[in-house]
Amino acid sequence: MLTVKNLKKKFVRYNKKKQKEEFYADNGITFQAKEGEIIGILGPNGAGKTTLLRMIAGILEPTEGEIDFDGLTYQKDEIKIKKSIAYLSGNTKIYNTFSTYQLLKMCCDIYGVDKETSEKRIKKIADTLHMNEFLYNKIEKLSTGQTQRVNIARCMVHNPKYYILDEATSGLDIISSQVILDFIKKEKKQKKTILYSTHYMEEAENICDYVIMINKGIIIQEGTPDEIKKKTKTTNLRDAFFTLIGGDQHEE
Amino acid sequence: MKNNLWNILKKELREMFNDKKSLSMMLIIPIMIPLLIIGMSALFEAQINKPLEEYNQIGFNYEMSEEEKKLAQDSGISVNYYESLEKIENAYQEGEIDLYVTKEDNLYTIHGDDNETTSYAGSLVESYFNTYKEYLQTEYLTDNNIASDDVINIINVKKDIKEADNFYASYITNYAFLFIIMAITVSATYPATDTTAGEKERGTLETLLTFPIKSKDIIIGKFLSVSLSSIITGLISFILMLISLVIVQDMFTIYEGVNLMLPSASFIFALIVIIAYSFLISGLCIAIASKCKTFKEAQSALTPLTFISFFPGMIAFMINVKSSLLLALVPFLNFTLLFTDITAGNINILEIEVMLVSTIIIIGVTLYIIIKQYKSEKVLFNE
Repeated sequence: MLTVKNLKKKFVRYNKKKQKEEFYADNGITFQAKEGEIIGILGPNGAGKTTLLRMIAGILEPTEGEIDFDGLTYQKDEIKIKKSIAYLSGNTKIYNTFSTYQLLKMCCDIYGVDKETSEKRIKKIADTLHMNEFLYNKIEKLSTGQTQRVNIARCMVHNPKYYILDEATSGLDIISSQVILDFIKKEKKQKKTILYSTHYMEEAENICDYVIMINKGIIIQEGTPDEIKKKTKTTNLRDAFFTLIGGDQHEE
Repeated sequence: MKNNLWNILKKELREMFNDKKSLSMMLIIPIMIPLLIIGMSALFEAQINKPLEEYNQIGFNYEMSEEEKKLAQDSGISVNYYESLEKIENAYQEGEIDLYVTKEDNLYTIHGDDNETTSYAGSLVESYFNTYKEYLQTEYLTDNNIASDDVINIINVKKDIKEADNFYASYITNYAFLFIIMAITVSATYPATDTTAGEKERGTLETLLTFPIKSKDIIIGKFLSVSLSSIITGLISFILMLISLVIVQDMFTIYEGVNLMLPSASFIFALIVIIAYSFLISGLCIAIASKCKTFKEAQSALTPLTFISFFPGMIAFMINVKSSLLLALVPFLNFTLLFTDITAGNINILEIEVMLVSTIIIIGVTLYIIIKQYKSEKVLFNE
């Protein structure tokens, strides 16, 4: 189980007078993610979703708060935690000069997957994600959708327990997005825990078991999609979100 | 998992050898070494062995006696007589003569512009006048019944100065080493920039930092790959330098009687100096480039290092600084001084050991600082 407790991240920015001022990108986020659960982190751009997921993935260090993966913390068990997670964002870049196979093999080596298992796993993933036709092509020659499939494959090779997906479908066409959504559903069946941030509310409504709505670094509502709709007396998460923020923001 | 240092090194090497720019930096720059050695040798040869007929046409605006003409011809001068100052000046302007001499009573004036040919011709004319002066002195003393030898050779001077084996050989070897230093520096700069700031700019560093790899393994893997690149450049440059020296030895007379091949001990210690320098410069390049956000910023930050790398050595070489235990501690300077000594056959093991210890300490401290700083957030966002 993943437990996030009172997580805060402070940054420094410059105001109009070019003076430094501190602000909290995330300010006291608390939630739990259980085995086999898909947790949707929803909010507009700048809400604090990416910062939150980067902290959970160990890329950013929290200013305050705790992150606990099955009793492990980054302070003591960074490598163990990183072995059990996979992080993928819409902006994640991979080594373009490598072939898909070389990249997956490198990831297997890094995660300590033995040679025999890694060959089997790469073959299976290539079949699942329909990558056989470009498995030995350089990544720089692949389309955006194919590259994102390689990225998903990279996340799968070490069979992680937790997936941290930050706007993973952002900028993808409908077919490539569907590949990712199908992958999330399959992994859920394998009892994997998935944190899934998006600003596409409809997408989240379809696949998430539990939704955390964030705005300006704080949780403004959380619950199952049905609970949130019920609480806000709306028919979809998009309307629920606007209801919660008072309808004064229309940026998604 | 245990071999993540090896995994990172493999990844870095694969990226480096897949990148044409890195490969060209590594392999093409050493090709300049033979050009430098052959070019400089040809220049020295041309200066030393300038044919006499290229600068011995001397104009005189006065009638010379038969004795004067004979002495001038014996000195190698081709005498050209011009009856007026205007004519001799025109002849000089048109390049018919390389220098001209005018006479007023007992004052002889040598005229010419400041150029290489005039300088050679000037030396020739001065030599002639010294001989002529001695001839006149001998004649005067003989006319007055004085033994000229007793006056002219009143003292005798014998020259017993030990000369370097071959000035040109050591000069060219030292400059070639400075060029090797530059080649190694340039060869380290590009991959160091690419593997740190470049990786950050391309966005792959974020991916790398999500992997279960210790920052120590990431940094040492990157450092070893950059070091390997600069060592390859250094070795190729050094081998090309040796091959070039063998070639120029047969091509140019300035190396006559000199063995330009290094003895095996000098060869091995010269390699040690080159490898030590490659490690040092790779560590420094990674330290500087990893602080930069973009490839361009890293390149700008590393430019001064390219100059710093060979400047101390060049200045030491110009003002003839000799190696010492203290100077063996000074980074950059120590490599040049030790290489100069080694190629001259003076191998001081203690100084080499001091240089190695100094280099290892600097690399160790540099890597330690980078590893400490290489936390995801600091590296990715420069916070």
